Amino acid sequence: MKTLKKIVSVAVALALIATAVLALASCGEAKKVKIGVIVADATGSEALSFRNYYKEYIEQNYAVEFLYSDALTDAEAEKAAIENFITSGCKAIISLASADRPAQIEQCEKAGVYYAVASGVLNDDEYAKYKDYKYYVGAIGPSLDVEYQTGYEMAKAQIAQGKTKFAIYGAGVGYRIDMHVQRTAGMLAALCEDESTTYGGVSIPGAIIGSLYTDGEVSLSKFQSSKYELVGYHALWNFGDATWQANLASVVAAEPEVILCAGTGLSVFGQAVSGTNVKICDIDSFTSDYATAMQNGTVTYLAGKYASSIGPIFAAVLDAVNGHAVKTEAGEALALGQSYWVATSYAQFEKFQSADSVANPIFNKTLLDTVVGDSISYGTFKTFVETDRTPA
Amino acid sequence: MNTPTLSKTKKTARGIFGTLIIPVAVGLILWIVCAANGVSMFSNAQSLTIFVRGVATVMLTTIALAINLNSGRFDFSLGSVATLSAVISAQITLNAGGNALTMLILSIVFGILLGAVSGGIYVLLRLPPIITSLGVALLYEGLAFTITKGSNVSFYGKTDVSGITTNVLYMLIIIAAVLLITIVLFDRSRFGYRYKALMAGQKVSVNTGIKEVSNAVVCYAFSGALMSIVGYLTATSVGIISVDILNFGSIGVMFSAFLPMFIGGFIGRYSNDKLGYLLAAITMTFFSMTYSALSVKSSTQSIINAVLLVVFLIYLSNEKTVKDIAALKHIRNLFKKKTDGETNND
Amino acid sequence: MDKVKTNEKFSKRQKLISLTPIIGLVILLILYVVIGIIKDINFKAGFEAIVNQSVILAIVATGAIFIFTLGSFDISLGASTLVSACAGGLVYNATGSVALMLLTCVAASLAASLVSSVLGSIFNLPVFVTTVAMMSVLSAVSEMLITGKGGNQIRISGLSGLENIWVKLIFLVIFTAICVFVFEFTKVGRRQKALGGNPVCAKLTGISVKTYAILAFIMAGVGIGLGGFLTAVRASTITSGTASDIGMNIFIAIVFGGMPISGGPRSRIYAAIIGSFSIRILSQILTMLLAAVPGANGIAQIVRAIFFLAMVYLASMNYRTKMLPR
Repeated sequence: MKTLKKIVSVAVALALIATAVLALASCGEAKKVKIGVIVADATGSEALSFRNYYKEYIEQNYAVEFLYSDALTDAEAEKAAIENFITSGCKAIISLASADRPAQIEQCEKAGVYYAVASGVLNDDEYAKYKDYKYYVGAIGPSLDVEYQTGYEMAKAQIAQGKTKFAIYGAGVGYRIDMHVQRTAGMLAALCEDESTTYGGVSIPGAIIGSLYTDGEVSLSKFQSSKYELVGYHALWNFGDATWQANLASVVAAEPEVILCAGTGLSVFGQAVSGTNVKICDIDSFTSDYATAMQNGTVTYLAGKYASSIGPIFAAVLDAVNGHAVKTEAGEALALGQSYWVATSYAQFEKFQSADSVANPIFNKTLLDTVVGDSISYGTFKTFVETDRTPA
Repeated sequence: MNTPTLSKTKKTARGIFGTLIIPVAVGLILWIVCAANGVSMFSNAQSLTIFVRGVATVMLTTIALAINLNSGRFDFSLGSVATLSAVISAQITLNAGGNALTMLILSIVFGILLGAVSGGIYVLLRLPPIITSLGVALLYEGLAFTITKGSNVSFYGKTDVSGITTNVLYMLIIIAAVLLITIVLFDRSRFGYRYKALMAGQKVSVNTGIKEVSNAVVCYAFSGALMSIVGYLTATSVGIISVDILNFGSIGVMFSAFLPMFIGGFIGRYSNDKLGYLLAAITMTFFSMTYSALSVKSSTQSIINAVLLVVFLIYLSNEKTVKDIAALKHIRNLFKKKTDGETNND
Repeated sequence: MDKVKTNEKFSKRQKLISLTPIIGLVILLILYVVIGIIKDINFKAGFEAIVNQSVILAIVATGAIFIFTLGSFDISLGASTLVSACAGGLVYNATGSVALMLLTCVAASLAASLVSSVLGSIFNLPVFVTTVAMMSVLSAVSEMLITGKGGNQIRISGLSGLENIWVKLIFLVIFTAICVFVFEFTKVGRRQKALGGNPVCAKLTGISVKTYAILAFIMAGVGIGLGGFLTAVRASTITSGTASDIGMNIFIAIVFGGMPISGGPRSRIYAAIIGSFSIRILSQILTMLLAAVPGANGIAQIVRAIFFLAMVYLASMNYRTKMLPR
């Protein structure tokens, strides 16, 4: 009994001391603005590049502290993460998770915490509803139109090269992830510009998009064309599932000239296509794996986001937290578009990769400071975001 | 005069029939279904590789699950052992240089260690194994995430590491080796006899001096070794290890092995349960290949697999009743009673 | 006299050990407050967050105690909660009636629970494996409900008024009161404990295994239905990932709360509540301490795992056996 009491008392004392030490360790630091970042993907290369930019560059140059959530897969998890951030004293939330953006905005508005969308946008209806919310800073990222256009241009570039035999990797179409649906629809729409080609009997982009949302996949039987072949379709990331692997192999075995990927195509197909003539076109980010793939010719087209592209939304959030929120002339939240950098050769890829790194980002402190401060006009900020910063 | 020989022949025939009926019947039926839809399970050059890899993965997972489950030990940590052993061996191989064999050996070594630690936690804490396995799953998932700093491990371009999983012969060697070692260890060794004794009667076995603790730890370590091979095969075949498995993201692996385990146990009555696990793995991989050939949606696949599991379990739990019904025994009995009654009246 | 003193010491020790989950909860609360003061957190938001994030798990886990008391477990609780939330959400969108939505949630979960229990009872199937199969079926059903009209979600609007901690606490208190009454003061609870403790003996005394197994699943079904309703209210957008963490967290919660996994007479109806709140407070503490640390999520999970094993070890010190438990 005595021994047990001793054990319990010692354990309690140790726990209290350890946690107090850990807690006190952060006490001496100057007050930093806490910003919570909620993410849907915590381990992918694009997600990590964004995180490294915020944690290793922005935190070193501004008096801010970023708190990151786990990978959030549904609305309830997003809500819980935001609750935790509000508890921790976050003044703002930057969202890279989109299970339920309206609920996120409402939650932040109620709590008096600023909210912004990075690397994405609200749709028109959502923007109309929330643009006047006091704590909604805005959204900066590729719009759904840009996502569609990116997929479209990627497919058009392959058509221009004379390719006729395609496969499509829809990534998260099965989960109806908006950007993946739009990209995939863009690819199909580009193919359907040919007179003989339809998807589900239609070639109008809106109808194709609707079909993808309804089916949650690209149905090969719906693709009709006398000019092009669509020999395979694959989606999702069930790496450990034998059926998924078998389907992947059958797509590659059908020997498409190129696999048009709505995202993470290299992670999925890289291993499977090595040693074959199948090429990959993808919409992802500028990582070392893509460098290798472009160098060896596996990836022939890459539309990518660069890590510091989430710099402007940080600047907007910081202005809002400091009491100088940037609003449109009508006093509404920001809704500004960004586009992708497109590399079609290794030389171009190298240029892009070296143009934006953690040590030397495109949106560095000098540039960001031009829009961080009081009385930044909407026009200045809009120009700042929409200026083409593609390396020459 | 030849009755004993006939009886032996009959037994052997019954054994062969019982062993092969499920994989052969399923294979035939699915082949017919595919043919009727104008597709084939083996439609391209990679099909055989995918098939053999699928068989290897399912067989290893099933044996790993069965080793402990047959002794009443649920193990939710199988998937986390596979992932963590693959992560560690990948980090070492990719950073220090190495080939496929190096990575495989490292995986197995770490798999044994991780399994032994899992078993060690169970025997030290003396908690129900389902509880310790939940804790171990959380621990290993967290470790995999922390070691990689939350970044997926990519093998893109590292073809020297993935050499084994693209070679059918190597994978067949793995299957044969694992099967042989498992049969020798669990059916032909002193360890195996003790394992079976503990399975059949824990109390009496312990009272007769069988060292339950070391037996359990070895079982966990062996299970860890098998799952490490699964982790290696999966990682090197797809080219990436996803560490986004926090909050029990890895436990689905365990559930997928239930049906092959029951099928294997059924086949084991006619021959050997380890052979049964191999044949069950072949059966389940036939299904996977068919789903892919027919582009069956994942939700439909889940329902089919669930229904098969329940139906098979219903059969196993009510075998005598099912056989009686199949033999129309009741009707025969009724008929027999009636004719006996008529004869007596006559 | 010495023997009496030894017996007294022993029963004091046993009592202290049996209180370990409650002591653990108190320690966690103290740690939370201490660290929260140091870190200057928003306590009002913090306590609301703890309640919001614990109540659904506590309700579902409290109902699940009836199943665990029998020595069984149900792995399909998360999938069942999702189906319940989907069904309720669709009914609310069609009718606008909260009452109908609640009824639908409970009816859907009861149906799922009854299928599991009846299958197991009629065909003598091991309950756990039946629930593994049900988990796949229910996941597929929820996917059909979610994607039935195209799209990947069921969006429910107009229920924000119900999304507050008082509604949740009322649900929790009422359901817990009913469960405590049934579990501790009726023969249903007594017989379930008997079945969990010694099924052979219980059967020989005339207790019907099938009847009480079905009753256990019914109680669990009610809990799942209420949990599904609150999930739909809280999430407002239901996707296939909603309620995905409930299934395994129920195990963690009830064991953390002191419930023996083998069930029987030592089962505690309050284990679910203590465990649910404990794991959420622990998560909050780890978030406060580690949120800015690289790889924090992994480290937090490692700490949770160690804490979980330690707590369960301490709580089960009364029940050490010579042989390894199975």
